[in-house]
Formats: sequence, structure tokens, C-alpha cells
Amino acid sequence: MYLFNLDKLPGQQSMLFFHLLARMGIEALVLVSPKIPLASIGYFQNAEEEADLQFCKKANIPVMRREVGGGSTYLDENQIFHQVIIRRDHPLFSRKISENYERFSLPVIETYREFGIETSFRPVNDILTKEGKKITGEGSGDIGDCFVWVGGILLDFDYQVMSRVLKVPEEKFRDKIYKSMQDNLTTMKKELGEIPSREEIKSVLIEKFEKLFGKLEPANLTLPMIKEMEKLEKEFTSPAFLFKKTQRIPKGVKIREGVEIIYGIHKAKGGLIRAIQEVKKERIKEISLSGDFTLYPKDCLEELEGKLKGEIRKKKWLNSKIDEFYDKEKVQSPGVNSEDFLKAMKVEE
Amino acid sequence: MTKVEDYNMPEELYYHQEHMWAKVEGDKVKVGLSDFSQKLAGEISYIEMPEEGVQVNQDKVVGSYETGKWLGKIYAPVSGEVISINEDAEDDPTLINKDPYGAGWIFEMKMSDSAELTNLMKGEKAVEWLKGEITKHERGKNK
Repeated sequence: MYLFNLDKLPGQQSMLFFHLLARMGIEALVLVSPKIPLASIGYFQNAEEEADLQFCKKANIPVMRREVGGGSTYLDENQIFHQVIIRRDHPLFSRKISENYERFSLPVIETYREFGIETSFRPVNDILTKEGKKITGEGSGDIGDCFVWVGGILLDFDYQVMSRVLKVPEEKFRDKIYKSMQDNLTTMKKELGEIPSREEIKSVLIEKFEKLFGKLEPANLTLPMIKEMEKLEKEFTSPAFLFKKTQRIPKGVKIREGVEIIYGIHKAKGGLIRAIQEVKKERIKEISLSGDFTLYPKDCLEELEGKLKGEIRKKKWLNSKIDEFYDKEKVQSPGVNSEDFLKAMKVEE
Repeated sequence: MTKVEDYNMPEELYYHQEHMWAKVEGDKVKVGLSDFSQKLAGEISYIEMPEEGVQVNQDKVVGSYETGKWLGKIYAPVSGEVISINEDAEDDPTLINKDPYGAGWIFEMKMSDSAELTNLMKGEKAVEWLKGEITKHERGKNK
């Protein structure tokens, strides 16, 4: 198994390289960072629906769709990607996908520990600090005859740009994402007050991954590989691939496992309802309702928000809470009922 | 229905090494994911089906699905033309988890060369192969 201990790669090469190795059937650990910022969307996402393409164009942030699952991410030089590419007949590959995540997270957890940050694996695909903040997110996929598992050490993170890269229905939603990321996503800089040397981190990562895979054989990027990546880049940035319609309907942003910002707009008979929620462990932590529907008595929407805060997102339960609110406040909302609120809140069951 | 440890394996089906099953009726072949594969992969959130009318080749990738941030691939067990897809499973991919050999079938094809069936496994051979896969998986688990 090879070790590609790379520096910062131009364009989209830091993401394209693992796709290339997997297609070539080459087993490797790749450590790399992007030279320029990138926005990356999951395979089942459509760039038009998920990314603020106008902003990305203005800020010179290329958007690429990857052959790996998950959601939108913002990538820049303050992340060291660790990418594992193994053939699916490798003894450490398990068809039980959750086990691969747990196994391959271990060297990363040990690396954080070496620098004084205690972390643990949180299913499905996050590494969290003791305080429950996400410090590494992961993704995986089958490409060619290989299984790839990718993630990144967060040295520092630009919360502001990440919240700008995403396409949102209204600006208010962007603020929520920004705030929730600040609360739930951490970095080595935040944890330690400074960023350790990149080379030192990479050398610990290599040592820890070698405990798992055995001695890795150092290898370098070759000219033919760069040429192949150029071809791949054309494929990955083609409108047919990037804007491919998929089933996934954007309904919000997952900040980390168990924390999501969910947004929804529902057109009821009596008008439009907008709902923005911060959901933690399936409970509504924060909710903001707005729209152009009529509600009597006026200004009682805040009370409904208060009533829903802290409640579990179960349809039957929330229905009863909304009904209680209607009864207690003698509320009237022509053309809008509790079912409409639940639709805007994307509560399905 | 044969059961190999925790995994259902109907004996009348053919199995592809990438854990696809194939139900052959004349030159029509219905295709889905094996119970072993769906159980180990976890709940399927999204699926990209092959397109109806396209010609596909044996062993080639014809679609994808996502479970828990993993992107898995759907393979053609034999060559031929895709004649229909399961729209219910496209709308609700968890049908594949709930009923992999029934309501959770994925696509149907018209096989172009029945000789290719010899590359698939059936009956005792398939059971032995699955046992090996389970062992491999256990071996991976214990590392």
C-alpha cells in the first residue's frame, strides 16, 4: 500500500486524486490539502440546489460533485485530508460499512490525542471532542474495484465562507447555520489556541495509519497521473455531472451527527408559511416561524414558537402541541391549520 | 427460503459476486440487492436507478445508492437491455431494506446471452460463497 504524502494541490486535484487512484485500483493513504478553496457536494446532491453558485463564482470557489455520499462541504488549505483507498478484497475492508468508519477513524482519533485533543467516533461518520463538538467529518464510497474512505483534520475553519457557499432560501437561515456551526464545529486552533505544524500532524497521522495498515511505501504524483486528473476534472465539472438531477431534496444542513438546521416553506390555502429550526437529537432547539398568512390574535406566533421549543419532532406530539396553542389562545388562522405548520416544519412522521 | 446465518437467500435465485440477485424467467431477469448486502450496508437513503432502454454489460456499474454517507454501486448481473425499474423503490429506497427479494427489487432486464448465467452462483455454490463472505466479514470485524 502506497503513501502519497502530498502538499497543497492546485485546482480540484486534492479531491480528484483519490477518485483517480480508486479507478486505477491503487491502494494508498493520501494526505493532502487544497491550494485553493473548494465547495464539494455529495453524489446525490445537485450543485444548483445546494450551492450559492453566484457567490462561488464571485469568490473563485469551484464547486465539484464527488463520488462519495454526504452533503455540502467547504474545503480549504486549513484542512489536511486523509484519504484511504483499498481494494474491496483487502482484509481490512468490511461490507459492514459502519465498521470501516469506526476502524479507519482510529488513527485520526489517536492523532488528535497525540496533540492533546480527546476525541471519539460518533456513528455514522463524525469524530467529536469530549464536549460533543465535531472536529472531523467523513465520507466513503465504492469506486471501481476499491473502497474509499475520506475525511479531514480541521486545523482552522472559515465558518463565514462555509455559510455563504450554501444555497439558502433566505438570509436568516444563513445566520442560523453560521451560529450552529460556531457552537457545534471545532478545530485544532479552537481547541489548542494555535495550529501545530502541518508536517508534525502528518507525520503522526502516518505513524498511526501504519499501525493499522503496516509500513506504507512512499510514492509521488507522476506526470501521467496529473494528466489523468485533468481528464477527470473535465468529467467532474461537466454540467451533465455537476447539475445532474437527483432524488435528494434539500431540506437543510446537517452540522454534525444529531444537529441539523432544517428549513421549509409550505404554501397553505391561507398563505405561505416559512419555518427554520435547529434540531438537536430530534428535538426542536430553536424555531422561527414567519410568512404572509393571517393569525388572530396578532403577534401570537412567538407563543407558538415557544410552545414548540424543546419538543420532540414527532407528528402526533407536535400536532397536539399546536392544537393546545390554538385552544388556549383562541387562535384563528383562516386557511392555515396545524397540518400546514407541520408541512412547513418538514415533520413527516 | 434458505437461511445462511442471519441472511435470507432464496434458492431459486442466481447471485452475482457484488451481492446482486437475479431472478430468471425466460429471457427476463429481475434484479435486486441481496439480504446480506442490504443488512450490512444499512438503511438506503437515495438510489439512482439505471435508465430504461439502455444496454448494460455483465459486471458493469448501472446505478448507485447511498447509505450512511457511503455510496454503493448497483451492478448488472448479466448483459442486456433494462426494460423497467421499480419506481416504488426509487421513491422509497428503504423498501430494499424491508423486502429485498420482493417489493424491493431494483430493475428488470431482457437478457441478451443466457450463457452468462454460468458466471453467476446458484444453490449450494451460492450458499458456500455466502458463507465465505460472512467469514470474511467476521475476519474484518475482528481486526
